[in-house]
Amino acid sequence: MTTAEQYNQIFCETFQIDESKLTDLTYQSVQLWDSIGHMALIAALEEAFDIMMETDDIIDLSSYEKGKEILSKNYDVVF
Amino acid sequence: MLLQGKNAVITGCLQGIGGATLENFAKNGSNVWACALTPTDEFEATCKKLAEENNVWIKPIYFDLLNQDQIKAALKQIASEKLPVHILVNIAGMTKDAIFHMISMDQMRLVFEVNFFSQMFLTQYITKLMVRQKEGSVIFISSISALDGSYGQLSYSSSKAALIGATKTLSVELAGKGVRVNAIAPGVIATDMNKVVPEDIIQGHIKQMSIKRLGEANEVSKAILFLASDLSAYITGQIIRVDGGIK
Repeated sequence: MTTAEQYNQIFCETFQIDESKLTDLTYQSVQLWDSIGHMALIAALEEAFDIMMETDDIIDLSSYEKGKEILSKNYDVVF
Repeated sequence: MLLQGKNAVITGCLQGIGGATLENFAKNGSNVWACALTPTDEFEATCKKLAEENNVWIKPIYFDLLNQDQIKAALKQIASEKLPVHILVNIAGMTKDAIFHMISMDQMRLVFEVNFFSQMFLTQYITKLMVRQKEGSVIFISSISALDGSYGQLSYSSSKAALIGATKTLSVELAGKGVRVNAIAPGVIATDMNKVVPEDIIQGHIKQMSIKRLGEANEVSKAILFLASDLSAYITGQIIRVDGGIK
């Protein structure tokens, strides 16, 4: 599985949504992406990519696209 | 052996309640990341001796609670070891005593930085690991001065009161994730921090106690041990006074 596929899978499984909805996905745009869902997402990303995210990055991760940007810029995750 | 096989992070291990807790945890089978401000030969030797005598590992870690980069580096070191962290005991703290109208805002901020904000920063990271494990016990060291007030200790007692609020709220937020959060409120304990307190004031405190003596650091550490262990598995969000029944 590629990094992008892994990243997509985490979003789909955490928020129980179809992959087609990922591109425009933002915080609280689906029912399960609330504050609790957000922490579940962070835990899944940290585990999958073996990282420990800074609190500022956790707060800034406000969309599917922003997450990619943060992971690649601050945690050397290559998409 | 109340903590056999557990791994704990303890701050303020160099002396007093922290030193006693480090010893008690090791004696009860816990491995420890022993956090302190600066390395000393004596501290390194103590860690080594305790580890050998009790067949546990004790790893000294040094950082200044006023330096977020140092805290971050320490946390990364702990996380990089890929070991579960079962217990976090936030002991390191400071006081700057002065009556209210003699406290500068800088002094007040300094005390809050050490006693509250740095502990929140550390706890945010460690509890993320605990949530992943679905298991953990966090213990803060508050103070009876936060509960009762104490002349000349506004910064200290306010920062310690903030820890009580944090304990209550965190315990609610993390209970469903398997993490318990409690605090100890020590009374007047015979530690270096209290050595500077004039004898007549100490005697005044003792008069107010049901048990007519100062507490020992080891007696506080036993309450910490209880909260860290499974003996307190159904206890969270509590502030336990260890004060000899002070009135």
